[in-house]
Amino acid sequence: MFEFNLPDLGEGVAEGEVLTWRVSPGDAVTEDQVLAEVETDKAAVDVPSPVNGIVRELHAEVGEMVQTGEVLITIEEEGDAEAADAATDSTDEAESAGADTEEADSAASEAAAADTSEQSEASTSTADGRVFASPSVRRLAREKGVDIAAVDGSGPGGRVTEGDVEAATASAGETADSDDGPTSVVSKASDDGDGPTTAVSQADDADTDDGTAVKAAVRSVSGDGQEAASRDQTLATPATRKAARELDVNIDAVPTDQTRNGQPYVDESAVRTYAEAQQAAQAADAEAVSAGGGAAGTTAEAGGAGTEATAVETGDGERREPYRGVRRSIGEQMARSRREVPHATHHDQVVVSGLVEARERLEPLAEERDVTLTYTPFVVKCVAAALDQHPVLNTALDTENEEIVYRDVHNIGVAAATDHGLVVPVVNDVDGKGLVELADEINDLVGRARERDIERSEMQGGTFTVTNFGAIGGEYASPIINVPETAILGIGALKERPVAEDGEVVAKPTLPVSLAIDHRVIDGADAARFVNTLKEYLADPTRLLLE
Amino acid sequence: MVVGDVTTGTELLVIGGGPGGYVAAIRGAQLGLDTTLVERDAYGGTCLNHGCIPSKALISASDVAHDARQAESMGVFADPAVDMAGMTEWKDGVVTRLTRGVESLCKNAGVNLVEGTAEFVDDGTVRVAHGGEGQGSESLSFEHAIVATGSRPMTVPDFEFDGEHILPSKDALALESVPEKLLVVGAGYIGMELSTVFAKLGAEVTVVEMLDDVLPGYEDDIAAVVRDRAEELGIDFNFGEAADDWNETDEGIRVQTVDEDDTVTEYNAEKCLVAVGREPVTETLALENIDLQTDENGVIPTDDQCRTAFESVFAVGDVAGEPMLAHKAMAEGEVAARAAAGEPAAFDHQAIPAAVFTDPEIATVGMTESEAEAAGFDPVIGQMPIRANGRALTVNEKEGFVRVVADADEEFLLGAQIVGPEASELIAELGLGIEMGARLEDIAGTIHTHPTLSEAVHEAAAAARGEAVHTR
Repeated sequence: MFEFNLPDLGEGVAEGEVLTWRVSPGDAVTEDQVLAEVETDKAAVDVPSPVNGIVRELHAEVGEMVQTGEVLITIEEEGDAEAADAATDSTDEAESAGADTEEADSAASEAAAADTSEQSEASTSTADGRVFASPSVRRLAREKGVDIAAVDGSGPGGRVTEGDVEAATASAGETADSDDGPTSVVSKASDDGDGPTTAVSQADDADTDDGTAVKAAVRSVSGDGQEAASRDQTLATPATRKAARELDVNIDAVPTDQTRNGQPYVDESAVRTYAEAQQAAQAADAEAVSAGGGAAGTTAEAGGAGTEATAVETGDGERREPYRGVRRSIGEQMARSRREVPHATHHDQVVVSGLVEARERLEPLAEERDVTLTYTPFVVKCVAAALDQHPVLNTALDTENEEIVYRDVHNIGVAAATDHGLVVPVVNDVDGKGLVELADEINDLVGRARERDIERSEMQGGTFTVTNFGAIGGEYASPIINVPETAILGIGALKERPVAEDGEVVAKPTLPVSLAIDHRVIDGADAARFVNTLKEYLADPTRLLLE
Repeated sequence: MVVGDVTTGTELLVIGGGPGGYVAAIRGAQLGLDTTLVERDAYGGTCLNHGCIPSKALISASDVAHDARQAESMGVFADPAVDMAGMTEWKDGVVTRLTRGVESLCKNAGVNLVEGTAEFVDDGTVRVAHGGEGQGSESLSFEHAIVATGSRPMTVPDFEFDGEHILPSKDALALESVPEKLLVVGAGYIGMELSTVFAKLGAEVTVVEMLDDVLPGYEDDIAAVVRDRAEELGIDFNFGEAADDWNETDEGIRVQTVDEDDTVTEYNAEKCLVAVGREPVTETLALENIDLQTDENGVIPTDDQCRTAFESVFAVGDVAGEPMLAHKAMAEGEVAARAAAGEPAAFDHQAIPAAVFTDPEIATVGMTESEAEAAGFDPVIGQMPIRANGRALTVNEKEGFVRVVADADEEFLLGAQIVGPEASELIAELGLGIEMGARLEDIAGTIHTHPTLSEAVHEAAAAARGEAVHTR
């Protein structure tokens, strides 16, 4: 058995959060095959397998933090197969892991046969035997990236149902749409509106007992709300039946003591009361399940599934989404900055006719080089030039050594809003790069940040950050400093605004700027002087040529 | 690159317009892919033109003639005359109607149809040589290609098809007259189907087979039902003999066979049908240009998405290996097209049904009892003889049975074998059952129409649970 520890994922990273499992127990993996997506700080990192073998156990659930060096996954290496079989009989034999390689190979290739099936023979059965599930359920499993052979079925005789696959998806993590990250899990679960799915423990150690335990729990919680009836027939008006359908209520389950012609009769208010009670019971059940995370035995496993990234309709007009992943790391970073850094914000407005003109002139030239030239590279370039004259804004505060660190290079972070939250890729050595090169690099970085295809190292080493909230709209803001940097520049929307000029109000393209500074290091006067210099460059970018 | 070549591009290129290829092309186009289908011969492939469809047409026609002659016990006396040319013309009409249908389905779906033979230039380009000398060629670049080139009949050494005496099944389906004496080499499903056709049309049919029974691969009790009926039709079986040589005679041909002990037997016949299996067609593809290897059977290996060793190239149908069945090809074509369109499709079907249109028909799906045992199940079987089914007796049939195989513990349906009238239709229900993960109770708990043959399926499932009403 190979116990694979979470490897060092980059400078100073001590832990990572399991975002997605790409493999399930029983899967054959090859060296370098991606095992899991682990999120550190702000980047999602693929963790590749160091060996060939069969996955035996996943040691962390999706959403769990794993420390570097902790066991992440147990893989039975190819040579282990024989040893593992022998282990049940004699531990001595198992110890001598030099098992007969020929047999081990054949075991491994058998396991792999499911993947390399070239004939229907292999397709009709999996390594673990035939799968009893309908074609629609098998398709769902493929779409969700769930290994259906590893799913415990709750249907008659253990047939795998749609619900089982959904539950396995929730517990094994969202692999199919991994790019969307946790947010997609949230939206999907809430779109379905089916509240907490029946929690089923993780595939590796799941057995029917777990399923039964959870089902029993659900039932007992429902009982707390309102006892469900189970009749064969119920009298009700068509309107009541319609309401029941809309509320997804089984009308034969609605309790009633009314009768018509000797038959149980249900009216619409009984249906609504029952539906509300059911919802409340389900919400309470969800809470009970997620609260049970620490409890012992089967409840603990069920609880693990319950705490998955699933939105929970609580039934009283609110919705709970998990706070984790990129969202949580953004949050922690922001809270730290606000907590530690005394922010002061300086606002100004720049008339940028020269900038607009320069871009209009250069845009077609950039186009010829297949580069889209936005205002961002201009701003970044102007910021670097202004930083050169006001180095105090290009600093970091080293509180431990009580030193202010002046940085020679101008590595500018460009904040980008993505579907999965705020990401700040860094453009290194802005001074050494031309506009087209900058534009190209920024487009690439931001594009990849949106695709979540960005390296952690590409978001580190910044000395100053620019955030272009104006791209979405607005004029002034109070940006939060990206510690340990000491300043951040916010850019509002570039548009024509009234400007007083020679006693008249004229429309001019203007750019509102908001500079937040760490007042421990930088004073308001420094900020104002920096902004004044920046304004000169932005108003007339040809001044950049002087530097 | 040939001078004058024009390279055009397509998102999905399908090579071969048989059941695998045309389904892949239509599905690809429906999924929004710019799709091109290259066919060198006739749309519909072997299935529509030379296989399933024409043979079933002749089987039905020969049944009409045969049944009319055999209806005396039902109080009907008739002696129908068979005009083989007329029968062939009717069959050709059926084929034409269907192949035109395939062509127009492709066109309506927006598939570009190109006539010619495609060969790979690299893993993103093919060159299509149009039919005939001097017709030119064109290059097509593709994002994904689906190879669906099908298969052709295998030959026996010294028995090359000559279009006159030694015939592949395709030629036997296009005869202008019924041969007086027909020698059939091979008692597999094609040999058995055509032997039956010609025996019913009045030919004197002799079958030689290397193995020791008809329909190798089918269980003995199934093969026996078909062999008995064939013998009743006057077909003469000679097992353990291999076709060795032949020569022309005044009346036709004389074929020599040898057995294990080198004993030579001679058979006189007018025609000789050789039906000893089929092999994949890949030599037209210039696979060496992309270094795509075939296995020892000439099959292009594929994964569960029908993908070959090349990410961009799929293979479906006969060229991708056994079972060489049109419906398997269609299912694979569907999977490959969806995978090419980026869907997480996979060929994860639990069972592929198969039907043999002998008299009576055979149809199977999933595992046999022994296969289930080999797969680690503890199988339980339930069997219903056809003679206990009311509807069977009303169509004057009494041979055969329906058998279901299930797992004894959970009663999951694992397989079924049917030999009897309309077996090919009856098997569909059991295929659905297997795909759905149905248990015996699900079949036994479904009301089946009375009086129909399908009641035998219901009864077999009940029998497997020890709850049969109509059998002991």
